[in-house]
Amino acid sequence: MISLPPSLREKKRHVAFELISEGKIEKEELSFSIWESILKLFGEFEGVDFKITEFYDNRGIITCNLKDLDKIKIALTMIESIEGKKVLPIILGVAGTIKSCKKKYMEVLKDADSANGV
Amino acid sequence: MIDFIRFDYDRSLNLGFQAYIVFGENSERNIKGYLIQAKDARDLREKLRKADGFVGVMSERVEVNRYAVMRKKVEAILDFPERKLDYSTLKLAKEKDVLIEFSLSTILNSGRNKRVRLLEKLRKTLQVVKKLDTPFILTSGAREFYELRKRNQIYEVFSYLGADLARASYWAERLYRKFFDEKYIMDGVERI
Repeated sequence: MISLPPSLREKKRHVAFELISEGKIEKEELSFSIWESILKLFGEFEGVDFKITEFYDNRGIITCNLKDLDKIKIALTMIESIEGKKVLPIILGVAGTIKSCKKKYMEVLKDADSANGV
Repeated sequence: MIDFIRFDYDRSLNLGFQAYIVFGENSERNIKGYLIQAKDARDLREKLRKADGFVGVMSERVEVNRYAVMRKKVEAILDFPERKLDYSTLKLAKEKDVLIEFSLSTILNSGRNKRVRLLEKLRKTLQVVKKLDTPFILTSGAREFYELRKRNQIYEVFSYLGADLARASYWAERLYRKFFDEKYIMDGVERI
């Protein structure tokens, strides 16, 4: 299909998240777990598409359509373990652009320190 | 905002809760809840005699839960996969001001077909809770660290199942005030 004009394109949202886990998680493992969670919870007909835009040091950004945002958040929340490693998924926030998402939620965490209360 | 958990959490992460009530374990860092698991009404009555503090009841039987709601000492009916509640219990809970807990760990720990049944039951219960305006609380119900979730995430899941988030926040805030606000006496009555 030819590319749609901006007014007809689906609005996107970027979800910043962090995984607290027993071990290191790979991007592919995470992607597989989210797909599994989505299919388990919503099935193939109600399933949603997403893309892991960034993932390093157990922190990342998931890009999805605005209408599927709730489902992505729920699917992420319902992940208990990835490849046998127990995880605690924490959603840091949602932004409209990757730039603002990084600025608001990812860069702040780089300088985070328990001493300054962040 | 208060979360009900089943282990003593050291509060190393800020998950959006101001306080935690621990059921089934001793706790010095959090508020200790008194957990009662009862087989029948007689068992519950006997256990309630010794109970003190914030009492939560766990029972598989509807009759026991209904009886528990009518007792003055009982503050909450705790959630677990086999819990059964009926319309009259929820109505009585509203009259007697007893909190009904809905925990995320119940959903997390249930398997495939059990989860489908549980979610269907949960949707119906939340519908009745909304209709009767029964006090309820959305919690993580975590038994270990990795079952904890952020408050917003818990609310998101239950919102999808039909929970009234504004009321959930109201009941949770009210419970917090009962514990920590010295001015609070009851709804509409405060020390000045």
